[in-house]
Amino acid sequence: MWTHQHLTGICHLSREDILFILSRAMYWRELLEHSPKSSDILSGYSMVCLFFEPSTRTRTSFEMAGKLLGMNVINFSLEGSSLEKGESFRDTVRTITRMKADVLVVRHRASGIPEYLATFLPCHIVNAGDGLREHPTQALLDLLAMQRTFGSIENLQVAIIGDVLHSRVARSLVLALKKLGNKVIVSGPPTLVPKDVEALGAVRIFPVEKAAEGADVVYLLRIQRERQEAGYFPSLREYAQFFGFKENLLRQLQKPAVVMHPGPVNRGVEIEYSLVERDVSLIEEQVTCGVAVRMAVLEILLREGKVR
Amino acid sequence: MTRKILIRRGTLVLPDKKTLMDGDILIEGGVITRIEKGILDPQACVIDASGFLVGPGFVNLHVHFREPGGEAKETLETGAKAAARGGFTAVLAMPNTSPPLDNPIIVQALVLKAQRLPFTRILFAGAISRGCQGGEMAEYGLLKEAGVVALSDDGTSVESSRLLYLAFQYAQYFGLPFILHEEDEELSRDGHMHEGTTSFLLGYKGIPRVAEDSRIARDILLALGTGARVHFTHLSTEMSVTLLRLFKGKALLSADVTPHHLLLTAEDVPRLGNLAKVKPPLRERRDIEALKAGIAEGIIDILASDHAPHTLEDKEGSFTDAAFGISNLEVTVPLYVKALVEEGVIDWIELWRKLSYNPAQFLGFEDKGVLAEGKTADITILDPQTEWEVDVAQFESKGKNCPFQGWSLRGWPVYTIVGGRVVMAERRIVDGEFC
Repeated sequence: MWTHQHLTGICHLSREDILFILSRAMYWRELLEHSPKSSDILSGYSMVCLFFEPSTRTRTSFEMAGKLLGMNVINFSLEGSSLEKGESFRDTVRTITRMKADVLVVRHRASGIPEYLATFLPCHIVNAGDGLREHPTQALLDLLAMQRTFGSIENLQVAIIGDVLHSRVARSLVLALKKLGNKVIVSGPPTLVPKDVEALGAVRIFPVEKAAEGADVVYLLRIQRERQEAGYFPSLREYAQFFGFKENLLRQLQKPAVVMHPGPVNRGVEIEYSLVERDVSLIEEQVTCGVAVRMAVLEILLREGKVR
Repeated sequence: MTRKILIRRGTLVLPDKKTLMDGDILIEGGVITRIEKGILDPQACVIDASGFLVGPGFVNLHVHFREPGGEAKETLETGAKAAARGGFTAVLAMPNTSPPLDNPIIVQALVLKAQRLPFTRILFAGAISRGCQGGEMAEYGLLKEAGVVALSDDGTSVESSRLLYLAFQYAQYFGLPFILHEEDEELSRDGHMHEGTTSFLLGYKGIPRVAEDSRIARDILLALGTGARVHFTHLSTEMSVTLLRLFKGKALLSADVTPHHLLLTAEDVPRLGNLAKVKPPLRERRDIEALKAGIAEGIIDILASDHAPHTLEDKEGSFTDAAFGISNLEVTVPLYVKALVEEGVIDWIELWRKLSYNPAQFLGFEDKGVLAEGKTADITILDPQTEWEVDVAQFESKGKNCPFQGWSLRGWPVYTIVGGRVVMAERRIVDGEFC
């Protein structure tokens, strides 16, 4: 029984909620294999994508998902907006929803923005990434990719490696994996893998080689150059050497693992250049699953979720 | 191929077991193969150690060998020979060279060079920050692969709490411990000696105790908050001991001193002049008493040198122009005997422990600091009785800047054996050609 008006975080979802989204996403994922692939079940609904941070795949993916379901999709562009003229954030979003958008997809650098919007906007809010906090559709698409690979999304062992501290992907993914009863291991530079992640049920293991041992999935997080500038690790070459995932490490694992990454990838840093396009990599499958999961989320929110 | 060596009739010091025993030691192929009484081996070259103490080689956590960039003051070779004369079979060279040891390529080159020198095992500390400038973390993983065994910005203190907070976390991935020189340079800037009556009378700006104490307090708390392995080097103040006592057992902390901070005070500065100019500065009697109490209690668990050789030119001129530093590697052990054993602060076993077993443990060397069959034959033999005068003219070190010239001391190392090779015999370098 779906009870949510918004999708602001995995933290609000139950195990049943997640499995429900995944079952619908699986349906849409199959549909994407065949062209022409359109549906009109959400025809007449409108969606505004409000991205206050740069994004390629997430914004395009939401746009694609909405359009495939027959929605009217509008992308709000920060450049030339009233925000640049000094209009407050609150007034900007109120104005846009006054145009009677049914769904607002929002990405913002500040943690907690989607929940804040949900307190006063009358439409459905979908979190497309808020600060360091959550990126729920990313976690759901990752689960879908895993489910398609392993046939099940329970009792897997997933090693998440990299900048957990600054990763909303990691927070959502750990929450989602744990709610479904998987084992989650985190590793990377200790400066970027805080002990507090254990509160989510993940286990910290150092070094990376040991963390990856026994994993079904090795999930690499994007490392951002500004983390080096902020002093969390000394150089990209050192990062690549000790925390980057390489073919020879993959070969050393006793059990074969698949490699995942939320993108965009820094080839040669967190992942060895050649590994991205190898058959063990689910990175491109993740992108396709992203469209399917967002179709499922839009469908469920608009058909099952009640607006106050 | 090294010859067999038989050390006979010595009193063996077993610092890990905190005990003495009579016995002979047979060394074959660089390894201790037998320890027992009455070993006979006609093929072995015999060292008669009767009346001497025989124990695991001394390990010194703090020396400056100035290479690269300061070869006029010291080189790896002169430093290694000085270490052998001082009874040290392993020394840790600090990274404040020119350029500093923040680059794995430089460390690799020095490691290769050091391996060709038989006189002692030269180990290297890598820089905590790039260029020892306190701005960004150095590449600890790559430095460790190149051979560093610890991290230090010695010669200066890390000002940024954030850098140290992150470095303390990051370095744990690689298991590297920190060695901290503690000095708030805002408080010590322009200072030349301990801030007190003597500096006031001499008209020199002083370095207050709090320059050291405040940094030690902060960094104990950073160690506590991060779980890092942190060692404080060259303690000089009463309060530093008090602070460490307060947190003993609560964090992975340790500390060392130098011999000069136990034997000289600021009052010696007028007499000794530039030779007594050192960082941290020579303090007062009450600081010495506190340091000795800390040593007796085990709060200060390691004895080091801070061997800081300089050229004569660098130590010439006015007191305010002269460089900081004391060359003491060849007299460190007898100075500690005078300050600690003769004063009844600790016994010979504990002295040996703080000079070998404890520093080896700090560096994680299972094979060092222990005298046992199967271990690498790094051995120091010490004559506890005979008095000799300190004569800087005999120093192997290029640094003659030693304020202990002419002091009559006992407890001199008389043989140093590194990997089964005798490198010092009867206080002279022998370069393996002993028998």
